[in-house]
Amino acid sequence: MSAAQKEQFDESFLKKLEYLYIMSKKVVAGSMRADRKTRMVGSGIEFADHRHYSPGDDFRNLDWRIYGRTEKLFLRMFEEEEDLYIYFLIDSSRSMQIGNPNKWDYAKRVAAALGYIGLCNLDRVSIIPFSSKLEGRMAPTRGRNQVFKIFEFLNRADPGDQTCMGDAFKKFVSQNKRSGLAVVISDFYDPEGFEAGLNFLRYHRFEPIVVQLFDERELGVNFHGELQLVDCETGQVNDIIVTDAILRQYVKAFEDFSQELEDYCKKRQMLYFRAPLQVPFDELILKIFRAGGFIK
Amino acid sequence: MQFTGLLLDTVFMLAGAAAVFVTVLYLLKLRKRRIEVPFSPLWGRVLADRKSHADWWRRLKRLLSWLLHLILVGLLGLAMAGPHFKDEILQGRHILVLIDNSASMGAIDVSGGVDRLDMARRQAIEILEAVGGEDRVMIAAFNNRIEPLSPFVSEVSLLEGPLRELKVAATGTSYEQALGFAADSLRGKGQAELVIISDGAGLAGKSFDVIDFGPETTVRHLKIGERSDNVAITAFNARRYLANKLDFEIFVQAQSFFERTIEAELQIHADGRLVDTKALTLQPGEVYSQFYPSQAVSGEEIEARIRVTSRDARDVFPLDDRAFALLPSKKKLQVQLVTDGNLFLEGTLLLNPNIDVNRVRLSEYDVDAVYDITIFDRVTPPISDRGNFVYFAPEGELSPFELQGTVTNPIITDIKKSHPLMRWITLTDVNIGQSAKLRRAGRDEVVASSFGTPIIMTRSEEGRQMVVVGFDVRHSDFPLRVAFPVFIFNLLDYFALADQDFIQSYATGETWAVAVARGLTTAKMHPPQGPPVEIPVFDGRAMYYGEAPGFYRLETPQSSVRIAANLSDVEESRIAPNDIELPEIEITRQADSMVFERYQIWIWILLLATLLLLIEWWTYNRRVTV
Repeated sequence: MSAAQKEQFDESFLKKLEYLYIMSKKVVAGSMRADRKTRMVGSGIEFADHRHYSPGDDFRNLDWRIYGRTEKLFLRMFEEEEDLYIYFLIDSSRSMQIGNPNKWDYAKRVAAALGYIGLCNLDRVSIIPFSSKLEGRMAPTRGRNQVFKIFEFLNRADPGDQTCMGDAFKKFVSQNKRSGLAVVISDFYDPEGFEAGLNFLRYHRFEPIVVQLFDERELGVNFHGELQLVDCETGQVNDIIVTDAILRQYVKAFEDFSQELEDYCKKRQMLYFRAPLQVPFDELILKIFRAGGFIK
Repeated sequence: MQFTGLLLDTVFMLAGAAAVFVTVLYLLKLRKRRIEVPFSPLWGRVLADRKSHADWWRRLKRLLSWLLHLILVGLLGLAMAGPHFKDEILQGRHILVLIDNSASMGAIDVSGGVDRLDMARRQAIEILEAVGGEDRVMIAAFNNRIEPLSPFVSEVSLLEGPLRELKVAATGTSYEQALGFAADSLRGKGQAELVIISDGAGLAGKSFDVIDFGPETTVRHLKIGERSDNVAITAFNARRYLANKLDFEIFVQAQSFFERTIEAELQIHADGRLVDTKALTLQPGEVYSQFYPSQAVSGEEIEARIRVTSRDARDVFPLDDRAFALLPSKKKLQVQLVTDGNLFLEGTLLLNPNIDVNRVRLSEYDVDAVYDITIFDRVTPPISDRGNFVYFAPEGELSPFELQGTVTNPIITDIKKSHPLMRWITLTDVNIGQSAKLRRAGRDEVVASSFGTPIIMTRSEEGRQMVVVGFDVRHSDFPLRVAFPVFIFNLLDYFALADQDFIQSYATGETWAVAVARGLTTAKMHPPQGPPVEIPVFDGRAMYYGEAPGFYRLETPQSSVRIAANLSDVEESRIAPNDIELPEIEITRQADSMVFERYQIWIWILLLATLLLLIEWWTYNRRVTV
């Protein structure tokens, strides 16, 4: 572990987390300690919704009144009260490592901050770096004093290689049966597309929260001329003559890409945050809380 | 198109090699800079959008870039070949510039300069400034002779100094001599060019023989001058009266070259004082002549001046408005008559107011006394080594002429009529009682004789001149004749030598030979303007080339001689500019068509190549051709 990495989570960082926690309490006023509810429907007592009956369902939950009116079988569902599991899926691929400071360090800070707040709220927090596979896993842990475990894990987390959310998240859902919030912190530079990975999470009842990181320096490139652009992950080479017009088109392509991601998330009611590296991470944290959907 | 740079074969070889090299460079795969990007599919989107037109545009740009560099190679090759226009003269030319500095070039009828010569000088300097580095230029001034100011030189800046020092010479113009010199100088020279800068004054109606300047020689005449407005003193001199050779008369002649009638004033100055003035009305081309008797002029340095008094007329040639002449000093001859009494001789001499006669007897004769002429009548005393002596009826042993007895009643049978003593007289019927029988010595000249016996003789010795008359005038009827006083005057004139020593005016533009004492090698000439000049003396004659009218003074240790010099050239006063016409030769009149400039096209080609490179650089940096 390098000295720089150690400095990421020093005492001042911890103080900043305390501050963020207090601020989160103000922002999310009225929330109650240890009373978090998942969106999962299960065996609770508070009615949540109906769904069509499927063979194998518990007969006891059939809504006979609806059957009497419609002669169709509907199953009554109840909200299930349980501890909230928060999974921080941090993209550790090589595209996150470019630049100094890079998105990888920023992502770890964001994960640490949100994880700390989760611990303070007595949620179970787990951190899983990923690239094309899962690059380690910090088992769900609970309690404020476990924050140093998060720090230690993040400090020890190694960078990955090529991004493939589909493969990584497929592995993730197979390893983590308890659904919960899945905070995906990534640049979403997946050659195979981000949809597959996010869909995996959704289909396995995880509630994805998308935090897209990007470096504004990537948009303000100052190289011109006839170049070979080499993808840092795949090694794919593109011969290109970079002009001002090309650069403008590149910025537009990035904005289109980000917009596609945002539209995808909104359409599926997933929280989406876009954060440039140049914005301090604590501002991003507050922004997330202001959005109000991270912790209910 | 002509080429003076590298050989075309060499140029083609170099340009071809460079073109191949450039092409090879373009064929080689360009090693591009590698940039690591986080997510190439984003760039892929961009490329997908532009791919449709990027390929052909890229190919076109590469093709254009390749063509541009081939063009640059071609331009550089062309520049190395040293291109020139087809009609441009490339070899070094031999340019002979003949500048007329004769008297007429002093006319001031020019705008933009002091006089015609100044304009000619400016045009010559313009030519010098325009010649190419390989041209050879020679400059010569001509008037009635040729004065080369330089050989053919390529360093033309050296010629400006002699050009600026060139002055108008008050001389005539010898075009034949100048053209002959030009032909001799240019014959055999490659790319020869003759430029004559002259007013052509005096050329009206003049024709030249065929002159061979050599093949392909270009002859140009740059005419200087605008008008002919001039009035001139064309003749001015002083001479003896026919009747009285000890007095003089002045002759002045003026002529108008105006094309209309003008008013003028003729003035005569003596020793700087105005002694006569006369208003003249001169018709176009009219010649006015006037004699001035000696009584009206009492000075020695005589000057005639003429000026135009018409208000609307201007004499543009001042050089011929003044003329100069000298009169001898009005001294009386000192004559000594040694006789015991001869009324005929005394009376005749006393009648002449221009001589002082001192009659002495033989006993009073002083051999050391200095007289201009000493006349011995029937006596032969000792004489000095220098002087002029006349013997009438010599006798005795001291006679310088050998006497061989006497001859009675001689008849003068032979007379040398061309001798100055015999002018206007004849002695054939003079009756003489008796005459000495003279014997002619080696250098004696017999003027009159009787059947071979000399009666009158002259003798010239170093420092002495003598005349002997063998008979006693009292024993003849000669004193009773009109010829006697004339003979006495001739006698005095013979010694005075007035015809030879005085009045002689010299013409400018000639080499003067002025008689001085023998034995000298140098003399000092004081010109009208400027410091004195030491001039050589050959065989008793001082040689000097006079270029300016006015009064000169020639000094030797023994004497000081004054000289008057005048232009006296009607052709130079006829200052109307004329074109020079030469048979079988086409003469260019304009200086504008003179192609002295050499167009260095290779510089423009390099500039064009540089411009193309700048455009390529600009478009590259503006990402137009990237």
